Amino acid sequence: MMQKKHILHLYQRAGFGLTASEFSRLKEKEIDVVDALFEASVSSEKLKVNTSEIDAFLAKYSKIEDGVKKVYAELIKQSIKKTIDFNNIWLERMATTSAVFRERITLFWATHFVVRSRNIIFYQNFNNTLREHSLGNFRDLLLAISKEAAMLDYLNNQQNKKGSPNENFARELMELFTLGEGNLYDETDIKESARAFTGWGHNFKGDFEMRKRIHDEGQKTFLGKTGNFDGEDVIDIILLQPECALFIAAKLYKCFVNDTVNEAHVAEMAKVFYKDYDITKLMKFVFTADWFYEQENIGSKIKSPTELIVGIKKIVPFSINIPRQLVYLQKLLGQVLIEPVNVAGWPEGKNWIDVNTMMVRMKLPSVLLKNGTIAFDIRGEFEDDFEEFNKKSNLNRKIDVTTNWNQFDEDIEKLSYQEITNLLLRCALNEGTKTFLKSLEQTDKQEYCIQLMSLPEYQLS
Amino acid sequence: MKRRDFIKNSSLASSVFLVPNFLKAFETKASLAVNNKKLIIIQLSGGNDGLNTLVQYKNDLYYKNRAAIAQQQSNLLGINDELGFHESLKGFKALYDDGLVSVINDVGYPNPSRSHFRATDIWQTASASNEYLKTGWVGRYLEQEAKKSIAAIEVDDTLSLLMKGETINGIATKDAKLFYKSTQDPYFGQILNNYTDTHLSEHNLGYLYKTVIEAKSSAKYIFEKTKVYHSKLEYPKNTFGNQLKTISEFINSGLETQLYYASLGGFDTHANQLNSQKRLLDVFSTGISTFINDLKKTGALKETVVLVFSEFGRRLNENTAKGTDHGAANLVFLIGDQLKTKGIYNKPANLVDLDENGDIKYKVDFRDIYASLLKEWLVTEPSKILNGKYKTLDLV
Repeated sequence: MMQKKHILHLYQRAGFGLTASEFSRLKEKEIDVVDALFEASVSSEKLKVNTSEIDAFLAKYSKIEDGVKKVYAELIKQSIKKTIDFNNIWLERMATTSAVFRERITLFWATHFVVRSRNIIFYQNFNNTLREHSLGNFRDLLLAISKEAAMLDYLNNQQNKKGSPNENFARELMELFTLGEGNLYDETDIKESARAFTGWGHNFKGDFEMRKRIHDEGQKTFLGKTGNFDGEDVIDIILLQPECALFIAAKLYKCFVNDTVNEAHVAEMAKVFYKDYDITKLMKFVFTADWFYEQENIGSKIKSPTELIVGIKKIVPFSINIPRQLVYLQKLLGQVLIEPVNVAGWPEGKNWIDVNTMMVRMKLPSVLLKNGTIAFDIRGEFEDDFEEFNKKSNLNRKIDVTTNWNQFDEDIEKLSYQEITNLLLRCALNEGTKTFLKSLEQTDKQEYCIQLMSLPEYQLS
Repeated sequence: MKRRDFIKNSSLASSVFLVPNFLKAFETKASLAVNNKKLIIIQLSGGNDGLNTLVQYKNDLYYKNRAAIAQQQSNLLGINDELGFHESLKGFKALYDDGLVSVINDVGYPNPSRSHFRATDIWQTASASNEYLKTGWVGRYLEQEAKKSIAAIEVDDTLSLLMKGETINGIATKDAKLFYKSTQDPYFGQILNNYTDTHLSEHNLGYLYKTVIEAKSSAKYIFEKTKVYHSKLEYPKNTFGNQLKTISEFINSGLETQLYYASLGGFDTHANQLNSQKRLLDVFSTGISTFINDLKKTGALKETVVLVFSEFGRRLNENTAKGTDHGAANLVFLIGDQLKTKGIYNKPANLVDLDENGDIKYKVDFRDIYASLLKEWLVTEPSKILNGKYKTLDLV
């Protein structure tokens, strides 16, 4: 049996929050809540933008021939635009899917296994590989992402050849993906494992290729074991280390439970995980643990920008009509989904907050839902695309948004002001804030929600 | 954090806006720093290849290891009979010729990290390679000396670890007007009016409220102080040029900010290094020379030192993709007209005595440079800020 408060907490962390209609259907106590959460996420549906022109090109050519260079250059431009479209539909998916936990944990893996790619085919495949394995076995996930073109490019394994190994992938595999910086391994282990991954690459279409000619067949010594290892062996040797299970458990704990690690809880998680690296089993363990529902773990985490935007979208359905404008907003908030800051991903927690991002967060609901204006300037990877846009004044920009207030009214009218507050805010409220909220009850419910979502308290998950 | 500490540490000083009455009672008029010296920190992010930046053109080992990417003597901007700057560094070389540059070779630290993330953390937090710090050395300077956010500005949208202290962070802004405008919403005032002591005492929630207050007061101060002055020089029209122009305008407006941080990214040249480094060094050189000439004209150069670093250098031996992999020790530039050593501070990198990865060994600890700048330039005791005793090198 689970209380309402705890169900709200579970869905906040595992699914970006409940919608108003889901909330109004909840009884005071529910059974089998966790099972239902997992049940809804059993199947995995690919996320795709329309890439038919690029697909057709790839079907016809297996390299860039002389006559098609111009077409190819055009397609590259198109590809960059498509990644921006993908950013938009990804957000849409997170806010509207019924497989909420699969999407939430896919987002987690995308901040763990970080890539950047302007090739929409590679990027999209990578993203769908994360989604497919997000609740499966960690070994399958690790092996699959190691063979993805986006990863092979991003960490230079495409250039990793016998006789002149490129260490970039091998280093990050251990430092960021499995063990943690300097944990168990040294520079020699990096060099040896880099040799094991020589020859792992991809073809023009992005399919994995084991390029035998440039694979180093020699003996390698890695983490104390010696043999004629290839990349798969290296991954298996890493997974044998209990430290790997501990590292992943701690990272999941920080994402789903608390920024501050409770070592006893993480040790319990690692024990469960190490048995067979089954991600679903591990997360079921977390969501059924008593400590997950302790007060210190409720309403205590600072939402990531993505969690913030998706959370608003679940309460008031909206869509951003110009995909590029979502990128602007994400830049201001500090998390452009398709452009992680570096291979280590985004620093989370308090690091999301500084004077600049805090101002944007508090303005976000009115910018998105009330045709509010926002002052901003743009720079970054897609700079060229922004030139036209930047000719206009930097001040008083509006985001072109379509808001479905009808849906909102239908869902939210049934709820009292107190219920709306319970639905939207996870942290305990101070007297000052309660007085403020009371004064807001004179406004209509649309306005009430917008004001509520602009509070510092709404930044907490 | 205790509430009194919070009050002392927040930059409420110059603000009469919508701060609740009970807080106004605690406002203190923090005085301007007595020392008005400026330090500009510039990171060439990604790991600039120092060996192709300042080239040992008489060294056979250099050419032997870099068949595809070596810089030929005829293209270099020679500074003596063995060294020359990369051809893109024309403006920078002119500063060098005017005695405005110190080049410190082989800067690094023991057991160097070759990860961007970690190495940047190490440089920004001034930690040892096996030590993990959550605050940056500029953040700790704010806490020990300046006591307020406004003393450090990162000219960007987001704040780096470098600028973060335990209780005080620097501020990120690259446009004073935009920044100010964004804090003028009446809603922020309303929220602050309903905020009470208990809001501050709560871990993450307190941090959020504190940040709102901070934003309002600092945005107002920066905007009002800087709105009149505009730089007279034409800066290159790229992001780096804009960042430097903003710094120049802030300094010349008399903003009390002492430390500025900006970064120029893209130096992670694993593949096809020649073109990308050529372009990036040109952006660096044209930007920095405009900036220094600007400060020279206004007289502000006397009060300013620029520190240029990269999180690591690159490997001597090129890779097969016509690029270079992550290396270790690298060169650092100091720029200003108060430098003790005008020109080359120490011998160029030894290409024979490499470490076990085939990388340049460090001879100067980067924290010695920080200690020197803190003691000799910012005139403060470095040992607490750097968590240890480091040599000073008589740099400025």
